[in-house]
Amino acid sequence: MDVILNQIFAGLSMASILLMIALGLAIIYGAMGVINLAHGEFVMLGAYAAWALQTYAGFSIIVALPFVFLAVASVGWIIERVIVQRLYHRPLDTILATWGIGIVLQQLVRLFVGAESRFVKGPEILSGNIEIGGLIMSNYRIFVIVFSLAILAASWALMTRTEFGMKLRAVIQNRQISECYGIEAKHIYSITFAYGAGLAGIAGALITPLFSTIPTMGTGLVVDAFLVVIVGGLGSLLGAATASVLIGEATALFSMLLNDTLGRIAVLAGIIVLIRFRPKGLFPSNTRR
Amino acid sequence: MTTKLFYDLFALAVFAVVIVVGVPFLMGFDGFELNTFARYLALGIVSLALALSWGSAGLLNLGQAATFGMGSYAMAMHLKLKASGDALPDFMGWNNVPELPLIWIPFHSLGFTLLAGLLVPAFVGGLIAMFMFRARIAGVFVAIITLAFLVAFQLVVIEQQGITGGQNGLTGLAPLSLLGWSVDTYDVSFYYLVAGCLMAAITVGLYLTHSKFGLILRAIREDADRTRFFGYNVANYQTVIFCISAALAGWAGMLYTLVLEFASPTYMSVSFSLAIVIWCAVGGRDSVIAAAIGAIIVNLLEGRLSDVFVEGWNLMLGVIFVLVVMFIPRGLHGLIGDLWKALNNQSHKQRANEAEPKLQPQPVKSGQEK
Repeated sequence: MDVILNQIFAGLSMASILLMIALGLAIIYGAMGVINLAHGEFVMLGAYAAWALQTYAGFSIIVALPFVFLAVASVGWIIERVIVQRLYHRPLDTILATWGIGIVLQQLVRLFVGAESRFVKGPEILSGNIEIGGLIMSNYRIFVIVFSLAILAASWALMTRTEFGMKLRAVIQNRQISECYGIEAKHIYSITFAYGAGLAGIAGALITPLFSTIPTMGTGLVVDAFLVVIVGGLGSLLGAATASVLIGEATALFSMLLNDTLGRIAVLAGIIVLIRFRPKGLFPSNTRR
Repeated sequence: MTTKLFYDLFALAVFAVVIVVGVPFLMGFDGFELNTFARYLALGIVSLALALSWGSAGLLNLGQAATFGMGSYAMAMHLKLKASGDALPDFMGWNNVPELPLIWIPFHSLGFTLLAGLLVPAFVGGLIAMFMFRARIAGVFVAIITLAFLVAFQLVVIEQQGITGGQNGLTGLAPLSLLGWSVDTYDVSFYYLVAGCLMAAITVGLYLTHSKFGLILRAIREDADRTRFFGYNVANYQTVIFCISAALAGWAGMLYTLVLEFASPTYMSVSFSLAIVIWCAVGGRDSVIAAAIGAIIVNLLEGRLSDVFVEGWNLMLGVIFVLVVMFIPRGLHGLIGDLWKALNNQSHKQRANEAEPKLQPQPVKSGQEK
């Protein structure tokens, strides 16, 4: 029983990490149809930014978060302005271009920071565990779960309760008509891309105590996050949340029943089958495109 | 003979002369240099295999490395058995495998190995293709499904240590003996073997793209629904090209194992698979010859430049790739085609300009005289 509870918690913890990474991706993909393979590198940049802030300025991760968000968001903004903006009418090519950007970012980090693994301390207040019976939950992981839910809520509010969100939804539905009403679609796209990148940065900063920080850390994450987005359905925030819980828990469950690798293989196979039968994901949005 | 076919055959002839005569001559028939070049040629085959499915039919297969890996492992299994003789391959002993696994047994035979290297990838590619295309999956989803398959497949290969050698792959291979000829990979004859394979693969690719089959594939790429309304079974065509592309990739994989003398699960990594896409895009995905040349050029540059800029090379590759995607989406092939057209237009214009004064009276001058 305890084993199962602990696995459920491990699954939730993984789901929260996936959710934070996938959320930015879902927003970018949903809003502009851009498959951003550089997203993993944004996560990696966030992790390195957190590391740099901790080693050179002595910031704890939580204090560093707003700075990390701004830094990675501005990198995203520049990339959108210079490269991605020219490729909106060629969705397959955005896959390739963003992969190229990913290679460049990875190599830049390797050149200027080095290829060796970096270590970031978790915050002092959140060290330690909560134990309920046999269930052991690390405080930091609980914090990450709560924080990911907060980000989900904030993104949802941004999309539905602000003027910017309204403009974004208008542009998603019909770019030409929105431009007729004086909405600057280009501008909206840039900000959206920057926001998605910033979220990836935050995710990267938060996972530094849990993962090892190396230049290639993003490549594995981006594939998983992508599957979450596709399974969840195009541009659906709630879908992304559900899919990340589903995938996180399924991975934890299969890992317990089989082993880690076979668990991952089983989840991937399940996802392939799911995409085949529901290519629009579990929660397709109803907007016409 | 159409102009396009003539143009392609001409390009093939020039390419063949360069590869068969030019390169060995430039390298001074040096076995070591030619071995490195043979590696690029083998990669050229996998790049052209991708051009067949991506360029002709518009199916971006991000899992090309998986079928490439199957071919390379098939060849490696045969050579490993040969190296071990009657004993069990060494890594199986380390993994406590008591006897030769069943799927290894037929790889004693070279004929079976060569067939398996082509047919197993084709079969697996065909299964995935049928699975996807019967459901009319297209565009981005093809890329995602093949990518997910690649990740899963690589995990399986690493996981099954007892059968595949796990993370280490298959090393310590015997040289291949083909019809009594023991293949020395540092010999000029081996280079010609790989070059011959590349030429054969290009010929197959050219034949396919210029046949009616290729025409229908292009129709599917442009508008799948319309092709369907004409009565063609789109899924079948897509499946067949996927199989052929997978078989060619398997072929390339077998040659690659011969060149490098080992097989490793890194051949099936996501970054290798996307590297294939990069070569194909740089060369030009519309033409099989251009795709092969793209692979050769990028790898040649990598071989030369990565010695000079050890860390900087990947950075440059990334920048080049982004620039290619942004500004010359049809690759070098498209760039040359555009330049050719522009030159032709200009010479036409010049001729037209020369002809103009004769045809037209000069009203301005006559006006001034009055």
